[in-house]
Amino acid sequence: MVVGDIATGTDVLVIGAGPGGYVAAIRAGQLDLDVTIVEKDAYGGTCLNYGCIPSKALISATDVAHNAANAEDMGIHADPAVDMQGMVAWKDGVVNQLTGGVEKLMKANGVNLMQGTAEFAGENTVRVAHGGEGQGSESIEFDSCIIATGSRPFQIPGFEFDGEHVLSSRDALALDEIPEKLVVVGAGYIGMELSTVFAKLGTEVTIVEMLDDALPGYEPDVARVVKKKAEELGIEFHFGEAAKEWRKEADGMTVVTENKDGETSEFKADKTLVAVGRQPVSDTLNLEAVGLEPDEKGFLQTDDQCRTDVGHIYAIGDVAGEPMLAHKASKEGHVAAEVIAGEPSTLDYQAIPAAVFTDPEIGTVGMTQDEAKDAGFEPAVGKFPFMASGRALSTGHSDGFVRVVADEESGFILGGQIVGAEASELIAELALAIEMGATIEDLTATIHTHPTLAEAVMEAAANARGEAIHTLNR
Amino acid sequence: MVFEFKLPDVGEGLTEAEIVSWLVSEGDTVTEDMPVAEAETDKAVVEIPSPVNGTVREILAEAGEMVPVGNVIITFNVEGEDEPPVEAETETEEAEAEEPVEAEKAASNGESSAKGGRVFAAPSARRLARELGVDITTVVGSGPSGRVTDQDVRTAAEGGDDGAQAAEPEPEVESEPAPETTESTAGGSQAVSMQKVDREKTLAAPATRTLAKELDVDLNAVPEVEKREGQSFVTPEAVREYAEAQTAAKEADVAAIAETSKEDERVPYRGIRRTIGKQMERSKYTAPHVTHHDEIDVTDLVAMRADLKEEAESRGVKLSYMPFVMKAIVAGLKEFPYMNSMLDEEAEEIVLKKDYNIGVAVATDAGLMVPVVKGVDQKGMLQVSQEMNDLVEKARDRSIARSDMQGGTFTITNFGAIGGEYATPIINFPEVAILGLGAIKEKPRVVDGDVVPRHIMTISLSIDHRIIDGAVAAQFANTVKNYLENPALLLLE
Repeated sequence: MVVGDIATGTDVLVIGAGPGGYVAAIRAGQLDLDVTIVEKDAYGGTCLNYGCIPSKALISATDVAHNAANAEDMGIHADPAVDMQGMVAWKDGVVNQLTGGVEKLMKANGVNLMQGTAEFAGENTVRVAHGGEGQGSESIEFDSCIIATGSRPFQIPGFEFDGEHVLSSRDALALDEIPEKLVVVGAGYIGMELSTVFAKLGTEVTIVEMLDDALPGYEPDVARVVKKKAEELGIEFHFGEAAKEWRKEADGMTVVTENKDGETSEFKADKTLVAVGRQPVSDTLNLEAVGLEPDEKGFLQTDDQCRTDVGHIYAIGDVAGEPMLAHKASKEGHVAAEVIAGEPSTLDYQAIPAAVFTDPEIGTVGMTQDEAKDAGFEPAVGKFPFMASGRALSTGHSDGFVRVVADEESGFILGGQIVGAEASELIAELALAIEMGATIEDLTATIHTHPTLAEAVMEAAANARGEAIHTLNR
Repeated sequence: MVFEFKLPDVGEGLTEAEIVSWLVSEGDTVTEDMPVAEAETDKAVVEIPSPVNGTVREILAEAGEMVPVGNVIITFNVEGEDEPPVEAETETEEAEAEEPVEAEKAASNGESSAKGGRVFAAPSARRLARELGVDITTVVGSGPSGRVTDQDVRTAAEGGDDGAQAAEPEPEVESEPAPETTESTAGGSQAVSMQKVDREKTLAAPATRTLAKELDVDLNAVPEVEKREGQSFVTPEAVREYAEAQTAAKEADVAAIAETSKEDERVPYRGIRRTIGKQMERSKYTAPHVTHHDEIDVTDLVAMRADLKEEAESRGVKLSYMPFVMKAIVAGLKEFPYMNSMLDEEAEEIVLKKDYNIGVAVATDAGLMVPVVKGVDQKGMLQVSQEMNDLVEKARDRSIARSDMQGGTFTITNFGAIGGEYATPIINFPEVAILGLGAIKEKPRVVDGDVVPRHIMTISLSIDHRIIDGAVAAQFANTVKNYLENPALLLLE
């Protein structure tokens, strides 16, 4: 601490104003705690500024263009022109509206906002360095602290982000012109989502992936639907190849990859998007000052009340471990704030849903059939293909299926996997079913609106009982 | 027809009561309203009357047992057809009737209810469990397929830990003992691990046989020391060693079962004792206590009371010092209204009480009770005295009504009646002050330059320092002191 510096006191200090941090700050404010939040970049964090929201905005916009251009089956002939700058400006408008809203909400709940980079100076003190020369720094003393610093994209050696040739997902979402040729390193969900966006805008996309398949972490039959559609969009996959180096060319770049036998391949591109995952931001906090040590991956270990090993310090969101999902961060923010306020809150959710905004979308929640078996259940599984859904056919998007996994004996819903149009929305029904302890019978007996895609969830549940009407039973 | 009688709600929202004693036995004839049992709530002992005419069929709770409200404690045979049992409280009939079936069903699902770390219950039920301090993974659900409902959580929280027990696997009580050893795992003592043998014939000296008889040892079970003529031979030492090992093993078993020393007596922390304890704990750890001590020269009061005592007695009232003190306190409370207040923590408001209801702490056999004399400001000295005497008497024989112990605004505790100069009284929460009185003793004091004997009463005034500042406490004490040192002033009150 600077001599003569009088620290500002606060009940709760939140470091990072992403979907975890701002929710924690607002909730703590609602609970009459004095809250200070420190953000080094932009309110809303990665999710609102560089992740979920801008990517989904672009996905929606490109879908409009792509669907219009590919609706001959429906008797529509159109050739939409995409003004990339206009599209990005619209996306920025969406982002600004949301981040402005977050700022207003925090203020309305009495949260003290502070711009700067926080690092610990002691067990109850952080030092906030304000951005820019001569902006100075100040100390904040807190009773409790919530670390919500999130994550940043992984870099791979030789592919340092330069914003021009080697792009992070954040850079890719800010491009103001459509690249002709794009190499995407990584076939995980970020790589797949952005590949789909650019392929639909007419970019020639090549994906190189070290592993043997796209979307690792998802069941093969789920991943297959997405991969097949990606190939139809013209995306080229090269599995078992690791990005090794790149060369600048007169008209772009050449990316060199290497397979496990040491054989190399070369790909020409305008730009390369590196989407190989994200790493937690825990290295900028001077954690030693509070006696905290992240694990070897950089995550802070927390208990089911988001407490770290140091009792008055909490960690939430990406920095507190997988899965790195905004809604998980928000939930943790809620819990941490309530725990600090003395409420009996805890992370006792049964499952965290996840969505991938590829074409078609993927929505998953809870256990797969194999996971249910491993957990000691005898799984009853029901499936319903969107090919058999009237609504799916009437939208022209009938790829994919709904799968419901339940416990044979009790009928409890244990999990679900949906791949298909609106899967990200449909999965919410199964998440609710799991949290409520609903059974297959409950899902089957609930009247679903016709004609909707949600009927597929009901039909899949009925199929698990061998009572499906619109499909052959297993 | 069998009539099932459930423990009724014996007082404001109580959830359980201790059955102190049964006043009837099985087979006794009872009439409606005839007391059948005494139950101790957290305030007093109440009699539980029979709801019907009939005979006692079965007593289902033992004296000394804590019973949750709503449990059947006794059944009666009453006139009428031999129909299924009727119950005293019909509103829970349906739920009760379903219980065995559901419980059974749930028990069979019990294992799966926490499989894979999962609890089949709505988030609202899970939160309720956290609020009530219930480990939901141990609750067996009564909902569809064993889903845990809000009611299941509430039942578990109200001490009905049936759920918890049902969910846990039965401890294995019948483990096959290894036939060849007497090893006792219960005690873990080093002496108990000794090979047991079981022979047909054992050689031993006659003295050894006698010793074995004395020590109640089966010679055929004692490990052999050597072979003689092909037979096992044992020595007195071997017998003794075996006997010691046996004893040690038994002791270890007993110790493991008893776990506590035989010398200690364990008394249940219940009823009035527990209520007092909780109340004290809450007061002490909620209100920051500060105690102000002083002494009062009550020489004149002693003289005045001696004068008035006879007159009072002729009117049938035993006049103690307490009514004077109570009147002096009321005078002080009127001058310092914050002393007669309580803190409404939720509303963040200090409530200045307009009643002057003075509690008097009374030590009873069952523990501390505080009868309250209401409206002391509006009553004469004799009336206050009479009412206080009556209430104290009722508290002592525990016939006092709950309402007579409620509504106090300030409390006096008279520790001097038993002994001691000063004490640290704990405030009768949520009141904000309590005045402790020491004994009145003759002590040498200096008056006008001369050492003379004076009657001195010590006082200890504890205040809730959140509400009352030390200066106010001292000023209040000074007022009380002024009235008691000049008791004629009380005439003006």
